[in-house]
Amino acid sequence: MIDKQSTSSNNSITEKNKRNTKSLAVWTSAWLLSLALVAFGPVSLWDYNKVISLCAIATNLLMGYKMIMANKQHLEDLDELQQRIHFVAMALSLGVSMVFGAVYGLLEAVRLVEFQPNPSSVLFVMGISYGVGMLLAHRKYS
Amino acid sequence: MKNRFKVLRAERDWTQADLAAELNVSRQTIIAIEKGKYDPSLSLAFKAATLFNLQIEAIFQADEES
Repeated sequence: MIDKQSTSSNNSITEKNKRNTKSLAVWTSAWLLSLALVAFGPVSLWDYNKVISLCAIATNLLMGYKMIMANKQHLEDLDELQQRIHFVAMALSLGVSMVFGAVYGLLEAVRLVEFQPNPSSVLFVMGISYGVGMLLAHRKYS
Repeated sequence: MKNRFKVLRAERDWTQADLAAELNVSRQTIIAIEKGKYDPSLSLAFKAATLFNLQIEAIFQADEES
């Protein structure tokens, strides 16, 4: 029988995952908030003051860096199957975003739509396709 | 690749969570290996062999070629 002390000490992968997920959530939230500040601050808070806008952008970039590092740490601490699941999801997300982004950018040029395509729409496609990829890979291995 | 994870675990009266903790992987990984849906890496296979105190060939067998 595996002794319980050994079991609890080796259960660290679960603990690590929880810790990393929490850290990722914190930095992602901070990044989103700082992005909102960059987007709405100049209009609502500081009347387009360039120095404050630059400070807000610098903060946003710092939050973005911390979020990327938290995500990297999260992926590194996953076990090999979990890493594979994320790998499959990322591959799908990258491919779908590239294909969608390329054609979406041409829609106005070929006069299929009247509006100018917004590049941030690709972020939604990226997020949704990543989620779908995770779901499919989880189903494949469970 | 076939494996005897489920049998060896049952012989020792370990739960999937026990085995996952010993191998430092998630329970989902143990489930996938037991169901034959995922072939573990060489390092995880060696870790399992050490834990079960068996030769690696006694745990994993390659599928027969048709």
